[in-house]
Amino acid sequence: MTERAVAALNPQPADTSVAIAPTKLKVRDLYFYYNGFQALNGISMDIPEKKVTAIIGPSGCGKSTLLRIFNRIYAIYPKQEAKGEIVLDGENILDPGYSMNRLRGKIGMVFQKPVPFPMPIFENVAYGIRHHEKLSRPDMAIRVEQALRSAALWDEVKDKLKQNALGLSGGQQQRLCIARAIALKPEVLLLDEPTSALDPIATSRIEQLVAELTSEYTIVMVTHNMQQAARCSDLTAFMYLGELIEFDETEKIFTSPSKKQTEDYITGRFG
Amino acid sequence: MGALYLRRRITNWLALGLSMLATLIGLGFLGWILWDTLMRGISALNLRLFSTITAYGNEGGLANAMVGSLIIDLLGIAIATPIGVLAGTWLAEYAHHTKLGETIRFFNDILLSAPSIVMGLFVYTIIVLPSTALTHGNTTFSGFAGGVALALIALPVIVRTTDEMLRLVPSTLREAALSLGVPQWKLTTQILIRAARSGIVTGVLLALARISGETAPLLFTAFGNNFMTLNPMEKMASLPQIIYQYANDPGDKMHALAWAGAFVLTMFVLLLSLASRLILSRNKVSHD
Repeated sequence: MTERAVAALNPQPADTSVAIAPTKLKVRDLYFYYNGFQALNGISMDIPEKKVTAIIGPSGCGKSTLLRIFNRIYAIYPKQEAKGEIVLDGENILDPGYSMNRLRGKIGMVFQKPVPFPMPIFENVAYGIRHHEKLSRPDMAIRVEQALRSAALWDEVKDKLKQNALGLSGGQQQRLCIARAIALKPEVLLLDEPTSALDPIATSRIEQLVAELTSEYTIVMVTHNMQQAARCSDLTAFMYLGELIEFDETEKIFTSPSKKQTEDYITGRFG
Repeated sequence: MGALYLRRRITNWLALGLSMLATLIGLGFLGWILWDTLMRGISALNLRLFSTITAYGNEGGLANAMVGSLIIDLLGIAIATPIGVLAGTWLAEYAHHTKLGETIRFFNDILLSAPSIVMGLFVYTIIVLPSTALTHGNTTFSGFAGGVALALIALPVIVRTTDEMLRLVPSTLREAALSLGVPQWKLTTQILIRAARSGIVTGVLLALARISGETAPLLFTAFGNNFMTLNPMEKMASLPQIIYQYANDPGDKMHALAWAGAFVLTMFVLLLSLASRLILSRNKVSHD
């Protein structure tokens, strides 16, 4: 795709803002490089507060890359570089001076594969809290219970909090990871294909959970499953080859997309 | 179709047969060694072996050598484990993609196959000779020097296994912890080491098994002692060294004692290996 064609597809950043709620994350002219290879080409979008924003697109389109910039988790690998602006509460989180500790307390992440820590269930949730806050034992117990309840896991694990988390089923492990992330009371929750390693029943539980969590958190979810995006999100962003092709209300994207590429993708003509 | 299928079956049979043969040869030798040492040492394999010291010669046992071996081996492991685990952690977590890390990993691999007599001579020069000079001959050879020599042999094994076990921990676990805002040092000490724990313990046990059979590094360092001592600053006997000494003796009773010692040592190593297997399989955690 030539640069001109790209410009034609994505003329102005203003086009990509959707005014359905106040903006939580304002992305402006975001570029990303893996060892010199450009993976994102000038992304601009406004992610609204307390809504579910889904990012879809074919493999390699940069959707996970984009998500991984929001909490700067990419920075643990050498030779990965982001340029541009992501404004959270008036501050650019890509500013080198922005504290990683603060950023990751505000923006939580759940990964594709459930990755519980090799420790008891209770400790899995308490671990992150302990790093950010000093809580008394009873307060910690309350906080862990709240997180597990919010993640719809409490009833299943309340009698085995001292057991190793690795003994849980895949779906339970993933809800534990969600509990671990929301235990820090973040403002934004990033979900990177959170159900792709789960069976249909566990998947529908997580989707239900996403719907419940949206009353408190801004959720950004990467998914390769278009039905999932259609089911759980308020807004959908379609990405292709490192470009943001279209970003609009989910209903509009799936019923009357304004770009031909979006239509081709959601109707299964490529991807 | 039929001919192709038949050929595949024959190839399969051949491959299976050859690998079974190889396994049998390996196991056969192990059984033979155990059987041979047991048979030849059985006349000396009694309680006296564990209760009497070597000072009684062919009327004695190997008690002081067993105690000495235990002390020297544990000293060696106690010195090598913290250094080895820390170095392995550094290689896997901090210097993974750096030139310095690659270089150190390479030299560690060379150290892994360094001749053990060289380690003995090295420790002789850096510990035995200076301590002789400093104490005017009061402390010369010592169990401690032996422990240091064995530590040098155990060290690269522990570095290697720690490095490899940590690199087996999936990177998603690192990302998950870091995404909570947890700093690298907490991630390493509280999560990664825990995830790789059983593998690291196995590495330490295998290193212990490896050094408990070493003779050459002890000849110039611990030297040997016909009496019982628990003081690591004195000369100290060890099982491999006594086996070496008794095997060179013309007396049949001494030979039987050496065989009995060899049997005890082999069983010890075998049990250590089995224990490490057990730990590894019991704590096996699937990350996929």
